[in-house]
Amino acid sequence: MEMRDLVALGDKLLDIDEAKFRQVVELLEQMNEHPDIQRTIAVIRPRLVELRLHRRPTLKRLFCDPFEDLFEALGKADPVPLSVIERSLMNSLWPLVEAEIGKDRLRSFRPALQDGPQRKALTEAFWAECGSAVARIAEGATAGHYSDALELRMNPARMRALTDIATILSIAPEVAEMKAALSPKPVPKLHADHVEAIQAVGRRVTRARPEALKIFVLIATSRLSDPTVLLSGLWDMDLGQKPADRAALFMALSGTVVAQMEDRSRAFRSAPGTDRMAVADLALDLVASLDATRAAMEHSRNKDFDQRLKEVRNSVHAMVKTQVLQDADAGIVAAIGALDGGSEGRAQLAQAENQARALRKCATIADTLGLRGELREMTQKTTASLTEKAQQALGGPAGNARTGYTAIRMIELIAGPAEANKIMDGIMNGGRR
Amino acid sequence: MRSLTNFAPSTFEERGAAVAFTTPVLAQTRVRKDSRDQLEVLVPNLSEGRGVYVVPWKSLPLAFPMTVHDRMLHDLIAKADGCSPDDIRKAVLEAARCGLAGGGAVAAAEAALNDDDEQRLLINYQLIVEALKAVGLESTEILRVGLTSAEGQKLTRDLMMKAAQRLALEPTELYGRIAELAVMMESIGIATSPKPARLRRLMRDLQGFRDSMTDWATDNVSEAAPIGGFCAEVAEHTVNHARNVIGQLDQAMASFETLLRQWETKRPQIRKACSRLSWLLDGWEYLILLWSDALTQDRYSQDMAVHDIFRVIPLLPRDEGRIDQSLMADKLITSQKRSVRAYVDWRSGQLDVDLVMRIETLKGKAA
Repeated sequence: MEMRDLVALGDKLLDIDEAKFRQVVELLEQMNEHPDIQRTIAVIRPRLVELRLHRRPTLKRLFCDPFEDLFEALGKADPVPLSVIERSLMNSLWPLVEAEIGKDRLRSFRPALQDGPQRKALTEAFWAECGSAVARIAEGATAGHYSDALELRMNPARMRALTDIATILSIAPEVAEMKAALSPKPVPKLHADHVEAIQAVGRRVTRARPEALKIFVLIATSRLSDPTVLLSGLWDMDLGQKPADRAALFMALSGTVVAQMEDRSRAFRSAPGTDRMAVADLALDLVASLDATRAAMEHSRNKDFDQRLKEVRNSVHAMVKTQVLQDADAGIVAAIGALDGGSEGRAQLAQAENQARALRKCATIADTLGLRGELREMTQKTTASLTEKAQQALGGPAGNARTGYTAIRMIELIAGPAEANKIMDGIMNGGRR
Repeated sequence: MRSLTNFAPSTFEERGAAVAFTTPVLAQTRVRKDSRDQLEVLVPNLSEGRGVYVVPWKSLPLAFPMTVHDRMLHDLIAKADGCSPDDIRKAVLEAARCGLAGGGAVAAAEAALNDDDEQRLLINYQLIVEALKAVGLESTEILRVGLTSAEGQKLTRDLMMKAAQRLALEPTELYGRIAELAVMMESIGIATSPKPARLRRLMRDLQGFRDSMTDWATDNVSEAAPIGGFCAEVAEHTVNHARNVIGQLDQAMASFETLLRQWETKRPQIRKACSRLSWLLDGWEYLILLWSDALTQDRYSQDMAVHDIFRVIPLLPRDEGRIDQSLMADKLITSQKRSVRAYVDWRSGQLDVDLVMRIETLKGKAA
């Protein structure tokens, strides 16, 4: 197959079967350095991650290993790292690192890609050398200016990312150890052995490079499904710091966590008509994060974040109100009427079921968000319309039983089985069954 | 409540037939008849505790909050004549069809019922062909004119008359025997069928499940790995038993003339083998789907799926195998203690919406 054919395939590669996909990836890997191929790989990266393909080991991949957890998230549902490193920055950076180290010297690191007795030592030496190279490159870049070498404008975020990469590479062996303990990613819950590993490795980082501890903790959080999980445990962790440093680290991490929550709470604000279930899931996540962050703040007794947390709560409140509660009844009741509409009707029904589930999901957070009254009103209104529909369909001889049962199902999804069973019994006892 | 070992059933009837409830705690629980011929349901590992709760069928809605679909299914099973896997399947499809478990379940139930109709037609035709072949008559002509056409039906009648003569039977008797055989073999089909019937497909899928679970459990450091290994072993024993039964049936069908001539002695054997096969494979369909769904998810979900499968895995009754699987399962539970995971939303104590949705999605995939 010609290279241009491979590139022309582009996003079609996302749909081909798995065996063929693996073959194509192998071919692409052989010509990896070409910019077109890199673009194609960027397109298919979500699928590469999903299939967990074992990619060909290269020095570039080894270079990225310590900080890969901070790359921007690929899927919408993936946890977003608290401190992001752009893939494009890394792609521009690697040739400069190669040039800094020199071809001959790089060649001597190649055995690090294969299993062997010298692998560990070589890998660590490689990371150390790369770290110094990146630090030199970072010194040469000026904030706010265009960097000819990197072919990128060096905004503050990129400057920070460069320094972060250099710092992470300097503690790469410790990061590797922590990554092994927090596997597989994402870790949904911190267990005692996770905490112990973070503490043990963290103490070593504090002793060797205290300034690297913050980024070390950030990498640890990016391996969790929710960064607030670590935040709530962080106060009790002994990472070998002085109390003042501990408080400073806690505040820095809290600030990053809250900033991320602020971003996430804004995500759906400008996109009405999105999947209501996704909004409900996000709202639940954010409320859980809010609770965890508030609980963590209790330890530090710092009131600085109160206002920001309040704003996040207000954002979530608005999001649930406008995108889950508003007009929920109209969509759900209309779908019952569209039952006979073939495949389109089925899709509408599935969407209505999602709306109903979203309503019910939000019941668990309605109190926290101060939406209890609105939710109850919407639930009662929708249930009343659906009960009427069910009554018409199941109560009389001319009704369509399927419509009736679907209405009952919707009531169940919104108000729970007890309510639905009660209504069903009421209808059935008054008519046929 | 009794422990799993004390409770090890001796026969399939004592083990009960799996019911496809959508209420998470009741999913795949088993129903059977008690000594007074009343239905009762067996709920294993309630809140991850040990042992099996035995609840009278009538009290089930009082003991557990159930989905509306499950209330209807409960009602249908109570009204049905028996509680064999086939009776339960009929009730499950009827409940799914009315729409209380979602659109996916309706489509799957309708597809399953259509498949049953197709298989019924196919097996009838195939058995007629077998009968004609057994007495040396040519049947390709029927295929040419079509079995359902008037000409085809006349041709079939004529040929069957001849076949009955050669077998020294009344034609109605021959028809009766073939019709009865078709009913018994409907879910199994014959070996040469172009479209394997439901239980043959299920056995093939169970082999796939065993292989996939063995691969997963080998070299896996997770605490669920020994449990996965045990599940693969149970699947292996079940596949071996099922293969034997299918082998017996295929052998009987291969000597079709003998089968028709010695109908009175062969009929009970065929009936027993068919019923045994449906008991053997009962409850596996859901577990196979659950596992194939888990394989597309992360390792944590796979561990959870293995625990869920283990909770309701259809262990072979003591009379069926030489190995006492209940005893092995009990030992495994003792060595693999884990934290409580109740099947309700921990914040509200209500039904876990996501879990119900997952079961309904699997129901939608079962066709």
